[in-house]
Amino acid sequence: MNRCISGVRILAGVVLGVLIGLPPAQAALAPWSALAGKTVLFVTGGPRAPQPNDDARVARYLRQLGLRVRTVDARVSPSAAHGTALIVISSTANAHALGDKFAASPVPIFTWNTFDYPNLGMTGATLHRDFDVIDPVQHYADSFSVLYGFGANITSEISRAVGLRPQLFGTLYLEPQTAGWGDPGPGGTVITDFFGSRHYAGVFTYEREATLADGRTAPARRVGFYLGSDNFHLLTAVYGPPAQDPNLRRWAIGLKLFNAALRWALSPPPPEPTYDPRALDAALRQAARGKRVLYVERVNGGEGRRSDAHTVAHLRRLGFTVTVADQTAPQRIARGMDLIIISSTCSKWKLANKYIDVPVPLISLEGLLSDVLHFSGRDRYTDYGEHGELRESVDPPENYLNIVGAWSPMAAGLKPGLVKFTDHPGVLKWAWPLPDATVIATLPNEPREDAIFGYPKGARMAGGFIAPARRALLPLDNPSFDQMTPQGKALFDAVVLWALGR
Amino acid sequence: MRVGTVWRLGVLTVGMLLLSGPLPAADGTGFPYHLVRRIALPAAGAVHALLFDPRTRTIYVAQGPRIEGYSLAGARLVLQRRLPGTVSALARTGTGQIVAAVRTPAQLVFLSPRTLAVTHRRTLDLAKPAALLYDRKAHLLFLESRAGATIVRLDPASGRSLGQVRVPGTPGEMAGNGRGTLYVTNAARDALEVIDARSMRRTGSIPLSRCRAPSGLAMDTIGRRLFVGCANDRALIVDADLGFTFVRLPIPGGPRLRAAFAFHPFGAHGWKGGVFFAGATAVAGIQMQAFIRYRNHGHLPLPARCSALTLVAPVGELWLALASSARARPVIWVLGASRSEAQ
Repeated sequence: MNRCISGVRILAGVVLGVLIGLPPAQAALAPWSALAGKTVLFVTGGPRAPQPNDDARVARYLRQLGLRVRTVDARVSPSAAHGTALIVISSTANAHALGDKFAASPVPIFTWNTFDYPNLGMTGATLHRDFDVIDPVQHYADSFSVLYGFGANITSEISRAVGLRPQLFGTLYLEPQTAGWGDPGPGGTVITDFFGSRHYAGVFTYEREATLADGRTAPARRVGFYLGSDNFHLLTAVYGPPAQDPNLRRWAIGLKLFNAALRWALSPPPPEPTYDPRALDAALRQAARGKRVLYVERVNGGEGRRSDAHTVAHLRRLGFTVTVADQTAPQRIARGMDLIIISSTCSKWKLANKYIDVPVPLISLEGLLSDVLHFSGRDRYTDYGEHGELRESVDPPENYLNIVGAWSPMAAGLKPGLVKFTDHPGVLKWAWPLPDATVIATLPNEPREDAIFGYPKGARMAGGFIAPARRALLPLDNPSFDQMTPQGKALFDAVVLWALGR
Repeated sequence: MRVGTVWRLGVLTVGMLLLSGPLPAADGTGFPYHLVRRIALPAAGAVHALLFDPRTRTIYVAQGPRIEGYSLAGARLVLQRRLPGTVSALARTGTGQIVAAVRTPAQLVFLSPRTLAVTHRRTLDLAKPAALLYDRKAHLLFLESRAGATIVRLDPASGRSLGQVRVPGTPGEMAGNGRGTLYVTNAARDALEVIDARSMRRTGSIPLSRCRAPSGLAMDTIGRRLFVGCANDRALIVDADLGFTFVRLPIPGGPRLRAAFAFHPFGAHGWKGGVFFAGATAVAGIQMQAFIRYRNHGHLPLPARCSALTLVAPVGELWLALASSARARPVIWVLGASRSEAQ
């Protein structure tokens, strides 16, 4: 019996390993052909909706895509969503009448009803701070600014489908427009933004199981989109000979973004990971075969030496071939490696700028390296920092993390919410990565202080740096490896396993 | 009633009319022109082309094998010329010459604008030429054969062919952007065909979503906006730089629309720009409020199908050739600007 259970775990581990190692292309959006015939519940303002509006155009467009459209107004019962594949909410629907009736719906939601974002938990509740609608009457100057979006994320499935780049693009056609923005919580993914800030997200998403801005968990995929009530037909696109110009193709992508975001919302989400440390261990052992790890530390350093030794021992036990290098060793030592782990015993000053551009996956256990590694901006205590460091931090020691990206394999199947990371409160580092990073955990009560996150290969990192391979932060201060709880160790293993993927 | 009383009443009436605001449009739809003159043509046969020459202030009317010139002042017949076959199209080149396309035998005839004297001719190796376009900014002359689904680029001085391109489908009106690109409606494909005028190579087509059988086409004079008239009573405004349709407006008019655009069609203090579509049942106006903002501005029902139109912007007139059938005697409608638009 035990052998049977063990076999199942190994199999689960192999499956887990395969899932984590999936390249982005294989995790692509479902093709339209697979989505045809699905039913969409389209929530609009009904006959009393403000005029003019594009609801009829949107409904016609959805039908052209092969979807079945059932149009209702804000008085709709939440049960009307049963059996549908997607709820689409227009900004013509009365957000106050809608309330939170779809907040707990296990059906994906695609919405451009900005005032409904707080009801759905997609943003905070404060107008102008957490969300806003720009319109040419109230905000004439800004209504020109929203004609320009910025590709904040270039590696999400939506971004890849559109070919989004970290540059401006035309959101809507030329004249001053009405558009909405939202500031999603740490579990959200900002795809595009306005006004040069990710706080003003034009398009943003939540994966199923991601933590919403109000702390609840997304029961299904959620998409916020910048559209106004009457400008669907002005979403940018380019046709005919002008479309042969690659710059114009990358500029006029409003309709492509709409399509990709719609497809993403309709596509099946990744399977929910389950917390199974043994299956994770099996997957990691499978992945470790023949893999070489460069472990960079302060060799013969005082504090943290035991922790480094035990970390290396753990990796070797998993089957990795580990080379230990001193922080001062030249970068060429990384050649032929499959993974680089930088210990928190390293001196930031002595490490200098090494390993930044190495096309080998890299995990930093030291959050204070975030600026040098382009994980975040360079302003300490604003872009990165620490809790619990005597004389260096006003924040108390901490040993819990808040899981906000439970859907990601990096979360090791842990449920959203607080998880005990180490046995005792101590130093925990954090950084605020760019939107291309997948955030797994934040520090408790600090939604902008991200403790565990990963950048996929090709991601846009701070300063416009493009990740040459996967990059991750896992804050493990000097003595912490031996103090990690089983959940903490699972997070460590899951991040290592993720980093080894392509 | 005494004469003085009548005079005073008249002054009072005119005063009240002036104070009561703009004159209502003839049909009450807000169309900015009203009928000011009818010119009944003496002979039967369709009018295929109307052309305004601002230098001679003459409007040329091509009917059957004849070209007639009407003075702008008083619309008096001042010139006449008979050509060897039906004149299907007229154009005015950069040097001021009038060019006429003769359907059968296919030939191009160059005429003096002041006398309509033939200066030279060129035989065309092309089936039934149907339309001419002179792109004034690019100095390019195009001739279209709908029967042969072909467009030829011609030397504007000699008429010599400089290249040609086939446009499979049903080509309609043409428009040039002044920078070497030619657009032509294709009713069979519900699209605009795009042609590089220098190489005479089709570079692609712009789809016209929900526009059936486009036929009327005009371009603003800076070559950025295309105005397309569709058989399903719809006008599309296309950003030519993106191939992007950003305005769709309902217009009456029916199939085989003709289109014309002018900046300030009513003078410096009138509209910024106007586009006019005329077809089987009506002539419709679209006002350009800004380069990106347009609105319907009413229509005027027509008693017969419009086969040609031209805008005479300097005096705020729209000339339409109407005929109920090919054998009927056509009539020219001269529409003048309503007072509110002209001021």
